[in-house]
Amino acid sequence: MTTAFKQIRFSGLLVLWLIALMVFAVRAPAFFTLANFTSVLQFSTLLALVTLGQTLVILTGGGGIDLSVGGIVSLSGLAIASLIKDGTAAFVAGIAGVVFGGILGSINGFLITRLRLLPLIVTLGTYYAYNGLALALTGGVPISGLPSSFGLLGQDAVLAIPLHTLVLVAPIFLVMLFTLNQTPLGRWIYAVGSNEKAARLVGLPVDAIRLGAYALSGVLAALAGLVADSWLLSARPNIGDNLELLSLTATLLGGTSIFGGSGGFAGSLAAVLFFTSLQAGLQMLNVNSIWQLGLVGMFLIGSVLLDRMIRTAETK
Amino acid sequence: MNWKQWLFGRRELTLALACVAVAVFFQFLSPYFLTTDNLTTILRNSVELLLVSLGITFVLATAGIDIAVGGALGICAIFVGWSVQGDWPLAVVVLIGPAIGTGLGLVSATLVVQGKIPPIIATLGLFGVYRAAIFLLLGGSWISGLPDRLGPAVNTTIAGIPLTAIYILFFYLIGWVVIRWVPLGIAIRATGGNERAARLSGISIGGTKFFVYGFTGLLVGFAACLYVARYRNVETSTGGLIALDAIVASVLGGTSVLGGKANLLGTMFGVLLVRLLQNGFVLIGVPSLWEQVITGALLIGVLILDAWAERRSPNYTRWLATR
Amino acid sequence: MRRKNRWSACFSAGLMLFTAGIGLAQSKPKVAFVPQIVGIPYFNAMEEGGKDAAEKFGVEFVYTGPTDTNPAEQLRIVNGLIDQGVSAVSLSVLDASSIDPVMKKAKEKGVKIFTSDSDAPKSEREVYVAQARDQDLGYTIIDELAKRIGEQGTIGIVSGEATATNLNTWIGFMQERVKEKYPKITLLQPQFAGGTAQRAFQLATDLMTAHPDLKGLIAVASTTCPGVAQAIETAGKIGKVIGTGYGSPNTVRAYLKSGAFGFSVLWNPRDLGYLTVWAGKQLIDGKPFAESNTVPGLDQPAKYDAATKVLLLGPPTVFTKENVDQYKF
Repeated sequence: MTTAFKQIRFSGLLVLWLIALMVFAVRAPAFFTLANFTSVLQFSTLLALVTLGQTLVILTGGGGIDLSVGGIVSLSGLAIASLIKDGTAAFVAGIAGVVFGGILGSINGFLITRLRLLPLIVTLGTYYAYNGLALALTGGVPISGLPSSFGLLGQDAVLAIPLHTLVLVAPIFLVMLFTLNQTPLGRWIYAVGSNEKAARLVGLPVDAIRLGAYALSGVLAALAGLVADSWLLSARPNIGDNLELLSLTATLLGGTSIFGGSGGFAGSLAAVLFFTSLQAGLQMLNVNSIWQLGLVGMFLIGSVLLDRMIRTAETK
Repeated sequence: MNWKQWLFGRRELTLALACVAVAVFFQFLSPYFLTTDNLTTILRNSVELLLVSLGITFVLATAGIDIAVGGALGICAIFVGWSVQGDWPLAVVVLIGPAIGTGLGLVSATLVVQGKIPPIIATLGLFGVYRAAIFLLLGGSWISGLPDRLGPAVNTTIAGIPLTAIYILFFYLIGWVVIRWVPLGIAIRATGGNERAARLSGISIGGTKFFVYGFTGLLVGFAACLYVARYRNVETSTGGLIALDAIVASVLGGTSVLGGKANLLGTMFGVLLVRLLQNGFVLIGVPSLWEQVITGALLIGVLILDAWAERRSPNYTRWLATR
Repeated sequence: MRRKNRWSACFSAGLMLFTAGIGLAQSKPKVAFVPQIVGIPYFNAMEEGGKDAAEKFGVEFVYTGPTDTNPAEQLRIVNGLIDQGVSAVSLSVLDASSIDPVMKKAKEKGVKIFTSDSDAPKSEREVYVAQARDQDLGYTIIDELAKRIGEQGTIGIVSGEATATNLNTWIGFMQERVKEKYPKITLLQPQFAGGTAQRAFQLATDLMTAHPDLKGLIAVASTTCPGVAQAIETAGKIGKVIGTGYGSPNTVRAYLKSGAFGFSVLWNPRDLGYLTVWAGKQLIDGKPFAESNTVPGLDQPAKYDAATKVLLLGPPTVFTKENVDQYKF
């Protein structure tokens, strides 16, 4: 039943995407160029990484959500950039940044699992704290002037596919997808998300799984920060802005239930690509990007309504 | 009960103490803090947030949430601004805000009740739609330099008490009466506490939810009027993420996101505490950029405090048991 | 010719003319401008000017920008425009340090890329169409304010986004000027209000409370002008605190008249937009800039500095109660 749920929302998304593509084919043929393909992938990486983390957190249920991801992206990005400016080797700085992100995420996880606090409020608090720190510590001034050798990850492309998509997004996505669908850990994640009490009774390490989810969300956010640094060759304290709401929307649009226990990474990634390509296409049609906000909002509501209608029809 | 529960058990008390502590601290560092002028300013600057937070507290009590209030505030402000510009009769100007606000609130309610869409999704979607609507309505220019027709509504004082304080007391009083004494208030808390049980005992869940979202909309609309009266400018960013600030204030005040209770006095002190800190920091010369960190730290601190004082929402323990 | 053949001949001739017509229409080069954010009067005025210039100089004007001051968004839009095949693209830079990826791409594709309104001086942009020199903007506002407060006292600054490069540059020059020329003036550290009038109001009011002898308030960023001015009015400090900022006549008119703002410093954004499109056309045509360029449609010639590749619109304009009504933007 829940898989049907997921599939319906997923295919609804695909239908929307198809419609959009058809409109673009007629009115903005430049959409279907290789250059645009590369652009779309280029611009979707940040959101993709963060959304994967968000999806994982939501899947583990218990009201799981991570509003602080934007802040983690900004803070880790700043940390990495300042390390590099101090002379640390790029590789080391990257690892340090990722660990840092993991720690930031673990703080969330700890507060939620150990102290049994509500994810929505905890991550709201860390959203303010992390974003605020990024702004306050830098005074709003970005750390710029990173060496151009560092730009390899962010700016280069192989066969029209950006390097960071190839080296980061794709493998991470595949690994996570595989883990979710084919391994016991994946089944545990679904179990924890759909019925925590039963999961505990059966002996599953619910808290450890959730803590891990938040930590991983932090790691992925830090990776996004790394990519942003490499791409722009500077670290801005507000680079992570809006990512929390967008990743939440993408996750929901991709078919994952807000209550956890159903959904998956495939839908989320599809939603991310849908967003980014919609943005690119709308821009070619010279449609103001503000329409996108409204459209996406309506899609979100529409897809859930559609679900409900199909569900009620099914149970009749 | 142990001393921890006594002292920290009533959140309003804790917050009130915190406000006093903060006030003393700032007064020590800056002699201008505890002046009538400054305190009046803080109060006046808090009006919109106080009103919106009141609504959010009600919504949270039903275990719902409303992220779209910022967008709704913007839309109401636009209409109020237009009516002031267009020289419409004062009665219209004053009523159009709350009217549109209530309407928008009812839209949220419809999606949640009839559409059975989880509130977070419905209001998240609506937020995007409202923001787009604001852009379209404003068409890229702001409403600027409005004539000061509404000024008296916010700037007068009666016997030394600012009119704005009276508005706040008025609405909070109504809210308090409803929550405590009127069957509707009990229905609200019951819906948030255990919706199934509430429904089984005959409470109209739909009606209750329509009320809270509509009431929030009304407050938002009124807040929009006050906004236009004070700042005489409506821009595309008006409203913004006030929803998050309101949620912070409510949670600080002791209202749980899980529903079942509404601590109005707590919310009031929550807003006050945040605004006191914001004001105080400017007075002592700390860069305003540190505010967000303080808000976040406060929020987390309050949550940890709760955990430490072993004071949990009875709802939460029950909720835990059902998972 | 048999009838059927005649018709098909006419038809194909018509078709050819039609496609030729489309072809000709499409052969109008496109000049694009990407502002820092859409939906604020300042950039709307630039758009107006750009459209006028496009009509006059026979190009197609494309105007599109991010809905909030997000540099990644801006990059994406510029990127998309390059993909779309515009001949020239200009932008009001949000983050100077992150502009390089698109610079590279533009050069590769032969698209002329340049900046307007806000610069990335270390990049390879073709030209920077400047409203006035950043230094002049910073200095003028301090000089005018100092004149009015008697060259001594405390002045507060309320800025918009902490991360906006151009705003911070102007603040930097303000601080420089005070240090050099006005030792008796204390310039407070800037406070950042984000984009809302409410926050600007709150910060301005708090500053006045914290410093009761405050003599001046500078609203950097057009978005903070209304809030700051309103704060001065509501606090009843008209005359005691002189407000000023980079605000357009329409936004500050009421406050100039009431006295909350002593003056405002700006330039004509419409002219700036106009000049931007003209510059784009020049770049496309491969015409170099002379030291002094007379641009049809603009009152003053635009000066060009070859060393820094800056095309200057003119000196900043100071708007006061007396002259504000002459301007309609």
